Amino acid sequence: MEEDSALFAVGYASKLGADYVDARLEDHYNELIIVANGKVQRGVINRKRGMGIRTLVNGAWGFQSTTNLNKKSVRQAAKIAFKIAKASSKHVPTPVKLAPTKNHKTSYKTKVKTDMENIAFEDKLKQIINWEKKLHTSKKIVRGLAEYTGLKIHKMFANSEGARIRFSNSLMWLSLKADSKKGATTQSYEKTTGHSGGYEIFEKNDMEKISLETGHKAESLLKAKAAKTEKDATVILDNDYVALLVHEIVGHPSEADRVLGREAAWAGTTWWAGKIGEKIGSDYVTAYDDPAINGTLGYYRYDDEGVKAERKVLIEKGVLKGHMHSRETAAIFGVKPNAGMRAITFEYIPLIRMSNTFFGEGDWKKEELIEETKHGYLISCMRHPSIDDKRYNWTISAKEAYKIENGELTTHLRDVALTSIAPKFFKSVNAVTKKIEVLPLPGCGKGDPMQALYVGNGGPYLRGVATILGVK
Amino acid sequence: MTSILMDLKGAGDTVLKIAEKKGLDEAEAYLVSNKVLTIRLVNNAVFESKGVHDIGVGLRVIKGNMLGFSSTADLSKKSLKKLVNAAASTAKARKLPFKYSFPKPRKIPRVAGVYSKKLAELPSEKAVELAYDMVEASMGYNKKITDNAGVLNIVSYETLVLNSHGVSARNRGTFFETSLSATAKRGKSVSEGSEATAGRNLKEIKPKNVGEKAAEMAVSGLKSKKLKEDTYTIILDYEPAVGVVSYISYLVSPMIAKLYFPLFLDKLDKKIASSQVTLIDDPLMPKGVGSEPVDDEGTPSKKQVIINRGVLQKFVYDSFYGAIEKKKTTGNAIRASFAVGVSSFPGKNYNGEPIPFPRNPYCKPGKWKRDEIIEETKTGLLVRRFHYTRLTNPTRGDFTSVLRMGLYAVKNGEVAGALKKSRLLDNLLNILKNVDAVSDKLVVAGSWGDYAHTPIIRTKAHVAPID
Repeated sequence: MEEDSALFAVGYASKLGADYVDARLEDHYNELIIVANGKVQRGVINRKRGMGIRTLVNGAWGFQSTTNLNKKSVRQAAKIAFKIAKASSKHVPTPVKLAPTKNHKTSYKTKVKTDMENIAFEDKLKQIINWEKKLHTSKKIVRGLAEYTGLKIHKMFANSEGARIRFSNSLMWLSLKADSKKGATTQSYEKTTGHSGGYEIFEKNDMEKISLETGHKAESLLKAKAAKTEKDATVILDNDYVALLVHEIVGHPSEADRVLGREAAWAGTTWWAGKIGEKIGSDYVTAYDDPAINGTLGYYRYDDEGVKAERKVLIEKGVLKGHMHSRETAAIFGVKPNAGMRAITFEYIPLIRMSNTFFGEGDWKKEELIEETKHGYLISCMRHPSIDDKRYNWTISAKEAYKIENGELTTHLRDVALTSIAPKFFKSVNAVTKKIEVLPLPGCGKGDPMQALYVGNGGPYLRGVATILGVK
Repeated sequence: MTSILMDLKGAGDTVLKIAEKKGLDEAEAYLVSNKVLTIRLVNNAVFESKGVHDIGVGLRVIKGNMLGFSSTADLSKKSLKKLVNAAASTAKARKLPFKYSFPKPRKIPRVAGVYSKKLAELPSEKAVELAYDMVEASMGYNKKITDNAGVLNIVSYETLVLNSHGVSARNRGTFFETSLSATAKRGKSVSEGSEATAGRNLKEIKPKNVGEKAAEMAVSGLKSKKLKEDTYTIILDYEPAVGVVSYISYLVSPMIAKLYFPLFLDKLDKKIASSQVTLIDDPLMPKGVGSEPVDDEGTPSKKQVIINRGVLQKFVYDSFYGAIEKKKTTGNAIRASFAVGVSSFPGKNYNGEPIPFPRNPYCKPGKWKRDEIIEETKTGLLVRRFHYTRLTNPTRGDFTSVLRMGLYAVKNGEVAGALKKSRLLDNLLNILKNVDAVSDKLVVAGSWGDYAHTPIIRTKAHVAPID
């Protein structure tokens, strides 16, 4: 990569008078394969390289990206980033300040055993066609869908404070989905397998088995009974459902820009603004965001501002402890920056994003949770969220559920959704398992223009109280 | 021809030559120069100003019955060779069970008012001032306005499709979107309002109008009551009407319908909406927010009826999805990347294969004046804004949206006061079948990158309060 051009951009914008400059020089490779009902819908290889230059001038942000890395274009991009920041500064009554951070000079890589580019595209496609085929476990499966994404990203971060960080990342995921139908009843089931690493994930996991299980699940849901509405029911949520729940009602409201009202015109704000230190849930509710977990989709060691990643404690034993920060929001809150900034490519200015957000562990076993529940529901596998702008009122549907009667799983249920109010639900949590799992969740959207990012979410099995909605 | 287009043409010609030399039967280069300037407003100030200039090429190739695709942002000869090899390697893996060929050259129509030199060349300093004018207009509207956030996006693009059959089709356009959300406070009462619009020309940017309308909605919500859960007659104002049309657009794309949203798959030639609903796609509309002379694979644009008086007349096709179903392209190829972790900007993107999608869809205006629809509503709701709208069951059509702001009771033909945040929970087919009034004018509305021309519509839906 043309690393000198990043240093040139930083130096040039600094000379123009910028108070702070950073440049992200990036090289992206991505593969996309979509197979539906045995037919290849997409088979794509994309490459993109370029640079994003961010400047701070008189306390205002400016940014310009370019896909042309010759000196003239880079100079022009740096100039625009400077000029636009300067123009904006007239309308920035409170100049941006950055919380200090160490200037790291380092290089790191995601561990990869099998490089995705070393496997012929044709071979990958054959495999994916086969896995999609296995979804069709009977004629009741009317639609199978396999969607594979592979990303390789090499990036070099440099800023005017002296940071120089190189990161080579590799990520991939495969979603397998089966739609079943019998008469007027239609159901679906989906499973996503993914990680940061190489193609070995599809060698390590028995993908044929996962496909078959997904198909069988979609079929079995046709026989399940439709759930009925029940107010304030005892619910045990599995890791998969918890992954979406923690994403929506802990992850997003923990983004400090959102807490400050800066996302009000887009995704919204948060109900817990100004409540740091307050008890918002039971002692069983602890939640973290941690980028430094190898193998997860949210993995990184340094964020896109060059801040070293660390585990952020968001909620501890029911007390709201902290948020995810940029250097700017950390300065506003008077805390240390905690590496929350990411952009999907060099063409975007970084935003505060989740990395791997998950609920912390407890000391229960899953079996104990069920055994000790006289009447309740085991809610399994996320489906669709619908959350209000303050992340207060939430409704999230599940792929399936089981009734629990006298400590045993009984009736298999479909068409089920849960709804509650975030603090009410947090206070209702009364048991959490020891075993936790962080699952791949590709497709978290934020920003204008929108940035669709990949994260990790999950946690333990968790028991609480929520209203069951029988979806009509 | 602009210098950037000459550069793009040069790169496109090179790619086609390399592909021919490699023995590929057909090749198609889609070349893009896309500039986006974004001024983001937060807390009554300019929060960030950012620009993107993305230049690149997407290449499709055919060898026998195999189809491949690849893209790159690097237009050097070495990279273009790599691009052809990558596209050929994806083709090896993708054998089509039907005959497919890229579109042939055809006469290209003209479309007026889709490019504005003044907008394309607007100095960034001026854009900053225009964006900030929205904040000033909102603050000046009423002293109860305490906060504003919003965006001005300005896009200018040039695209060129070149293929082995001799297609050489160019699009050039400009586009802007302005949106503002205002917050009003009085005592403990807090209320939000928003306004958003889009257009093709600099003249159409009206920051004062946007700021004042957002402020008006915010202030009007300061005294609000909780509604009672029920099924209501609802008047969907411009922005939520676009929310409904947007979902219809997904449902009439055969690709999206087959992969993700099958609601309309078995409903061709069937009644899916009331007779009041006629949906047209007209990319030839002068100044249309989605208008262009050709689609993204060089097929000339044409006006077509998708839903006629409630009956689903057709799905829309690009050449590939047309070939799958042995139909002709309807000129509805767009290039949009839905891939996670991949750039996808307002304007044009070259990193995705074409997909079929309505390009400038709108619900045909009816006979009613907007005010008449309200006057003729005895009891109901006026919905001015959708938020977090989802088709939660794409097979059945379960449809939900958070009515976060701009929700009002209508009593005896008058807007009778604001209502607190609520949730619409119904079925999209029910909503479409219950449409009984459509207003007579098209207005550009939308939010967050999704804009269309629309009238307002009246229908019925179940609405519940959010505690």
